[in-house]
Formats: sequence, structure tokens, C-alpha cells
Amino acid sequence: MFAWFRSVYLVCRREFRLVFTDMGVILFFLFLPTVYPIIYTLIYNPEVVRETPVAVVDNSRTAASRQLARSIDALPSARVAGYASSLSEAREWCASHDCYAVIEIPRDYDRRIGRSEQAVVSFYCDASLLLRYRALLLDLTQLQIAVDGDLRQQAIDIIGAPAYAAMGSSSTVGTNPVFIGDPSQGFASFVIPGILMLILQQSLILGITMLAGGRAERRRANGGIDPLGVAAPAAAAITGRLLCYLLIYLPMVIYDVLWIPNMFALPDSGSFIDYMLFLLPLLVSSCMLGMTLEVFVTERETSMLVIVFTSVVFLFLTGLTWPMYSITGFWRVLASLVPATWGIQGFVRLLSDGASLAAVASPYTHMWLLAALYALSAWLLQRYTNKSYNFYKSYKTYKNL
Amino acid sequence: MSFLTALKQSLILGCRRLVSRKVYFALMVFVPVGFTFFFVDLLHEGLPLRAPVAVVDLDDSSLSRRVIRNLGASELVDITHRASSYAEGLELVKSGEVYGFFVVPRDFMQKAVGGRETSLSFYSDLAFFVPGTLTYKGFMSTAVTTSGGLVKTTLTGSGLLDDRAAGVMLQPMVVDTHLIHNPWTNYSYYLSNSFIPGMFALVIFLITCFSVTTEIKQGTSPRWLAAAGGNIYIATFGTLAPQTVIFTILGWAMQAVFYRICDFPLHCPAMHMLSAWFLMVVACQAFALFVSGVFCNMRLALSTLSLLGILAFSVTGFSFPVPQMYPSVGVFSYIYPVRWYFLIYIDQALNGIPIYYSRFYYIFLILFTLLPLASLWKLRRHCLQPVYLP
Repeated sequence: MFAWFRSVYLVCRREFRLVFTDMGVILFFLFLPTVYPIIYTLIYNPEVVRETPVAVVDNSRTAASRQLARSIDALPSARVAGYASSLSEAREWCASHDCYAVIEIPRDYDRRIGRSEQAVVSFYCDASLLLRYRALLLDLTQLQIAVDGDLRQQAIDIIGAPAYAAMGSSSTVGTNPVFIGDPSQGFASFVIPGILMLILQQSLILGITMLAGGRAERRRANGGIDPLGVAAPAAAAITGRLLCYLLIYLPMVIYDVLWIPNMFALPDSGSFIDYMLFLLPLLVSSCMLGMTLEVFVTERETSMLVIVFTSVVFLFLTGLTWPMYSITGFWRVLASLVPATWGIQGFVRLLSDGASLAAVASPYTHMWLLAALYALSAWLLQRYTNKSYNFYKSYKTYKNL
Repeated sequence: MSFLTALKQSLILGCRRLVSRKVYFALMVFVPVGFTFFFVDLLHEGLPLRAPVAVVDLDDSSLSRRVIRNLGASELVDITHRASSYAEGLELVKSGEVYGFFVVPRDFMQKAVGGRETSLSFYSDLAFFVPGTLTYKGFMSTAVTTSGGLVKTTLTGSGLLDDRAAGVMLQPMVVDTHLIHNPWTNYSYYLSNSFIPGMFALVIFLITCFSVTTEIKQGTSPRWLAAAGGNIYIATFGTLAPQTVIFTILGWAMQAVFYRICDFPLHCPAMHMLSAWFLMVVACQAFALFVSGVFCNMRLALSTLSLLGILAFSVTGFSFPVPQMYPSVGVFSYIYPVRWYFLIYIDQALNGIPIYYSRFYYIFLILFTLLPLASLWKLRRHCLQPVYLP
């Protein structure tokens, strides 16, 4: 038994040496989890879409229509780029990207309001980016509610006393929308907690498979024996390596969950202990997945060819951009085999919604199940390819003869 | 050696290399085709309707039940849970069962009918942006119509206004929204048109770099160069041209899937998008070749291209607009060929504006082709004396 623990220690020590003498792996293990979160957050840090240029086609040319244009200009998401004389001129502005949306106020805007008929203002929005449309639409809805409230109050004031008696106040039922999780509606606050999970998983897998590629190359060059390999039983070998990766990732994880949200004022409503406890199975299952995916990597550099593109697949498979309830059938099965899926489903709720570890028990247990599954596959793989250990055993037999 | 012989030898060598290793087939054909299928199939609904939500009915009156029935009729949300308190609703959100909840307060009917102040509150979980926004929209329209319906009932009930006039008084001004060329807010239109080409660009980066630098790694680069008569331009052309053909054909197939099978908007002559695709393939290859030449080391070049290529999905503004980014960050979006392709797609396929407005995008894509001139001389030097550094 002691020999087993000793081989775990030896494997771990050797793995540390292999990691820290390999610039390629250092890049993945140290650079990626530290610098990438900063780069990503810098990209999205403006958080919300503000001051989108909007063209106004004012066919009414009245005080009321000018007031409306001023209100649109005052919206946080919009900026009136100018008055176009007609829709076709506004289209030209759109074509040359001087504006991304057009508001057309009809000729009879003021007259219809004065006659208590409904005035319809048309809003045309460029469909290239839905984030821009979302910001404008939400603001315009609020504007419409406010303008309608004003106009209604005016109409009630004109009717006078009977209307006051009937109405009490102008609107008896208010609406009270609340955003939870990401109350500022910011894009970075939404996407970065999930991206952190993906970065942790992908950097681990990239580094591990690159190490494995190096191992395979050494074996090829030395007739099936890895001169830097440590003779150890399969279980001890994967435990030792797991221990090494976990120790390297401990400071990375602390930095990612403690500092990154702090640095950029991202949501951070859970407790640090919960974060760390939650991330443990994510790291373990990612390591084991990495040690399983080694089978596809025969060269140091092919690790990148095989792994890098999966990050984009996972971005959509993990329920971050496209919600989990819309991922069905085969894709759902595939998604549940990715540790980061559960990592994102749980961690985002810990970080943004202030959930406790108990509330995210389902993703948490799923990650441990995946860890067990991939540990099994990694162990089988290790037994199958553990040539240096077999060689060592035969060497011992040879010596005893 | 004559130019033509060199070219022929290089091309033959390039084609042979492509079939010599499985990784080429896996990455050049399987990954882009598989990803296109995955993406189009995943997003085929266009909009993730029927987000699971909870309702908290503290009033339990005929009016509150009607409000909840109205909410249930919305296509945006699906009432899967009924919670008995705000705290319970919040717990459901935290555990991920629902993406939002709608609260009807105590004594809602009594106050609403009696003309006293009350309000409908609704909570949307924006930690998941798309479902959060959709639940918000569903909740908002239910709340606004409820509130409006009550005001209308009061007004007509008082006998001051008839039904039509009360309706106008409710909404004297309405904003009629037109999302141009995508009235269904189909997410697939813009996600597929940006992320699938982005994936292609990433794969082109990796394969171009791998196929050139592998010659140095394997030590076969002197022979590779010799086959091209010592001319690095012919050698790289011979290696990359067969790949250009494959990527171009696959990309056109992807466009056919988009614009013919899935009926994504294509408001320009097909030639505009086909040529843009070809230019993007060549521009991506040129960019990758440039980076390979700068590093002349397989691992460094591949790492750089992987790191840059993955960032492309964020920094080129597929979801967050580039003009909103910090200028010092947003400027990097323009080093990616796929950014220019994306701009061409917006102008040409989606908005169908005259090609005059997109002229610079095409020119910039063509200019990328000049990039390798700056670094191929260095690659040639390393090819003559290949040294593999891990």
C-alpha cells in the first residue's frame, strides 16, 4: 500500500517537472486561465449597448413630433443621428452605416393625437445584431408606456372632474419588472461566469493532451518506452497526475473566481467556499476527460487541432448562449457528457443568482458522476497503454532470474 | 526547373500530403460539415420559445387566474411551476428549474377593481440572457395588457367613453416595430451566418499552419522546397491550393444550405457571397501563412493561431457590437478576415444594399493576400535547415 502511495508521489513529482519544463503546457496551464478572462472581460466590459445612431424621418413637423424625437434622443440606447427628409434618404444613411435604425413619424401624428385617434410610429431596425435591437426595443417600449401615460393624463385632464371620479388615478395597476442575476443587463456580467468555466475546462484538456502528445512522441522515438515515464500502476499514475494538475490549478481557480469578478465588478453573490467546493468536481472531471481524450492525440501539436474547435461547440452546447430547455435529443445527451455544461448551469447560479451549493445539487452530482465515468475510461486507457510499466515489470522479472 | 514543372510537382505533393494523414480529413471535412449540421439543427427553431417559468398567485381570485391564463397563452413562456411565495419562486430560479417568475400580489382583484394602487411584479433571470429576455417580454406584455384592460373597463364602465375611444385612450401612441429582413427575430439567421464561417476560419488557420510547419517538424522541408525548385512561393502555393479548393467548395455548400435549404435571407446576387467566401478562405490562409512565417515553429504558430482564432468569436462582434467596445479593443476585430466576411454578409445577403457600399470590405479581404510576402523569406530560411523545437 505504501508503495502505491509512493508511486503516486513519484508520478506527481515527475508530472510537475514535465509541466514546468514545457513552454507549450505552461502557456495553457498558466497563461490561459490568468490572461484570457481579462481579455474576454475587456472585450465585453462596456456591458450594454448605448447611443446607437438612429435616423428620424419626421413627416409631421410639429411640436409634438419634435418632442418625441427629443425623447428618443434621450433614451440611453439611442442617439438621433439626424433628421432624414424621407425614408429613402434614411435608407441611404443605413446603407452607409450612419445609422442602424429609423423612426418614422407619420404626417398626421399630432392631428391624430388631438382627435383621440391612435397614432402609429414606425420603428425600423437593422437585424444584423440582435443585442442592438434588444436594447432599442426595450427602451422604446418604456418610452411608449411613458408617452401613453402622459397623453392619457392630458385627455383625462380635458374631460375633467367626471374622469377623475371614474379613474381615481390614471393607472391603477402598475408593472414592476425586475431583472435578477444580472440586474444591470450587462453582456460581460452574463457571459463571463460561463466563459470562466469553459476556460478552466478547455485549458486543462489542452495542456493534458499536449503532455500526452509529448509522451507519445517520446515513446515512438524510443521503441515504445518513455524515458521520462515513471513506472506505476495505472490507478496510481492517473491519481498522481490528477494531483499535480489540481495543485497547479488551485491558485488559478482562486484567481478566477475571487479576483476576476472583483476586478470587473461582475456579479458575485455567492460564497467563496461554495465556489471552491463546486469547482472541485469540475476540475477533476475535466482532468479525467483530458486523460481520456489523450487517445486521439499522437503528436504534441495535434492536441490543438483536436481540442481547440470544441470550445466553440461547447459554447452553444452548454446552455450559455442557447438555453438548455431548447437543446433536445442527441445534443442533450452530448451536452450532459461535457463537464462544463454542468459547471456553467451551476456556477452561473452560484455567482449571479446567489444560489447555495444545495440549490445546485443536481449539476454538482452530475459532475462527480462524470468524474467517475471519465476516471474509469482514463484508467482503462492507462492500463492499455501503460507500456513503460509493463516493461518495468518484465525488467524486474528479468533481474530476478 | 521550369516554373510549370515546379508548380505541378508542388501541387502533386500538396495533394498527397492531404491524403497521408487522417487529421486532415477529420479537421477539413468532418469538423466544418459536422459543425454546420450541429448548428443548423440546434437552432432550427430560430427562437427558444416556451421558457419554463413559475407563477406566484397570492390573490387566487378569478381575476388573478385570468391573468395567469393569459400568461400561459403566451408562446414565450411555459408555466411549469406554481410557487406559494416569492421566496419559493426565487429558490426555483436559483436551482435552475425556471428562468423567471410572475407575482400576483395579495388583494390584487380587490384593489384593481376598486381603483386602488397595486402592481404586477415579474422577475426574469438575466444570468441566462436569451431565456431571461424572452421571459421578460412574455411577462411584460401580459402585465401591460392586464393593466390596460382594467383601465379600459373602468373608462367604459363609467360611461364617459365608448369602447373604441377607450382603446385609443389606452394607447394613444404605439410604436410599430419592424426588424428589417428578420421579422421573426430568428436567432439562427445571425448566429449561423457568423459562427459557422467563424468555425471555418478557425479550421483554415489551424490546417494552413499545420500543413506548412509540419514540413519543418518532420525535417522534410528541404525536399518540399526542392520539389518547387527552391521557390517558397510555389511550394506554399502547391500545399495550400488544394486546401483552398476544398474549403471553398465546402463553404459554398454551406452557403447553399443557408440560402437554399434553410431559406436565410439572401438579398443580393449569389455571386457576391460566393466571391466573398472565396476571398475569405484565401485571406485566412494568407493570415495563417504569415503567422507561420513569423514563428517558423509549429507549436508557437499553432498556439498563436488557436488563441487568436478563438478570440475571433468574441472580438469580431458577432454578438456584441464592435462600435460599443473600447476602441483599443475593438480595433483588433479588423485583423480577422472573418470580420470582413461578416460585414459583407450583413450588407449584401441580409440587407441587400448596393455593392458600392461594401467595396472596401472586398478590397481589405484581397489585401490580406499580400501578408505572407512579409514573412515567407524567413520561412524559406528555416525550411532549408529544419530544426524542430518542441
